[in-house]
Amino acid sequence: MAKSFKLQVITPSKLFYEGDVELVIVRTLTGEEGYMADHSWACKLLDVGDIWIQEAGGKAFKGATVAGGFVDVMNDIIIYTDAAEWADDIDRERALEEQAAAENWLNEHLGPDENPEHIERAQISVSKQKARLHMTDSTSRRRK
Amino acid sequence: MASNNMQDIKRRIKSVRSTEHITNAMKLVSAAKLRKAKAAFERTSKNFHFIIEAIESVFNNADEVPEKYLPGNRETGKTCYIIVTSNRGLCGSYNSNVIKEAERGILGDPEKPALIAIGSRGRDYFDKRGHDIRCEYLGPPEAISFLEAKEICKPAIGMYDSGEVDEVRLVYTSFVNTLEQRAKSVTLLPFHIEHDPEVIKHERQVEYEPSVEEVFNYLVPKYVEIKVYGAIVESATCEHAARRMAMENATDNAREMLENLSLFYNRARQAAITDEIIEIVAGSEAQK
Repeated sequence: MAKSFKLQVITPSKLFYEGDVELVIVRTLTGEEGYMADHSWACKLLDVGDIWIQEAGGKAFKGATVAGGFVDVMNDIIIYTDAAEWADDIDRERALEEQAAAENWLNEHLGPDENPEHIERAQISVSKQKARLHMTDSTSRRRK
Repeated sequence: MASNNMQDIKRRIKSVRSTEHITNAMKLVSAAKLRKAKAAFERTSKNFHFIIEAIESVFNNADEVPEKYLPGNRETGKTCYIIVTSNRGLCGSYNSNVIKEAERGILGDPEKPALIAIGSRGRDYFDKRGHDIRCEYLGPPEAISFLEAKEICKPAIGMYDSGEVDEVRLVYTSFVNTLEQRAKSVTLLPFHIEHDPEVIKHERQVEYEPSVEEVFNYLVPKYVEIKVYGAIVESATCEHAARRMAMENATDNAREMLENLSLFYNRARQAAITDEIIEIVAGSEAQK
């Protein structure tokens, strides 16, 4: 059994996850990375995407989507994110609908006149929905 | 004459009693809301503690903090105040304490500050006095989401980044306990690194990705957003605590008034009876 460490996943409204884990895989801005105990210290920014947690003594991975954030790797690991959602809680239908709505909006409004903030928000929404859909797709196949 | 007086007192008793009913009901409502708000506040403050510590330790240990976020490299000219008040009155000195605290800072400033008002009480007060209000949030503070807090912070961070303001301060009410709340003013930007002896400077190399600068460009706004969100949640708790206190006092006062009034009423009634007896006795004496 690999050595374990303490992981906390924090969102503004709650402590999303806390526990002893062996491995956590996150998507940083430059690609996916996995951390195990005694990793060299780091502070990295996360992209909108998924995180995977392998709990101490367990084999299965728990998956969740996060909406960007940062990971602080020291002796313990803290992941801060604006929002997080377990794979089981994702509503696939709703994600599909929201993605379609955001994409439609972008098709109609993309242009130099539109407020860049609104465009950015719609783009973020699309990538969030993609992450959600990807998560519900992959739980059956990946990392089981 | 005496019966006239009695009528008046009776009318007053009735009105004070209905006031007492109202304040008592408001007290109960605030107590329930306070319980809810306090639970939310405790939950967020526990988590934020970790985040703020993480951010502070990063600041303490990084050598290449981007200069614009450090104190001392800009002359303090224009300041941006984020003022957290409530939307409703009847909560004692809760709003006026915050306003006083903010005004003390504003009067000492060399230039006219830009304000961001959260809650209509503060907005109305500063608007009336001709201050420059850049952004406002008037929804109920206990129902605010992190996303909304983010939107509120955006102009403040934008103004700081563009150099329009040199300092961002947050004025809110901090929760000591249910009986005591204190108006507080903290500086968010430039980032004051607290050289806390408890935060030990580690000797270890820390990797930053994509780069130190980008990590800081992410962390600093995040720090401001978290602080503002935390302050709003905390102030909402204080508002309910203050209102509960104010309503409790009002109820107590109303009860005291009722006691006095019923004493006066009884006295007036007795005086009327005595008058009548005197009249009767005088009448029968005259007949003899």
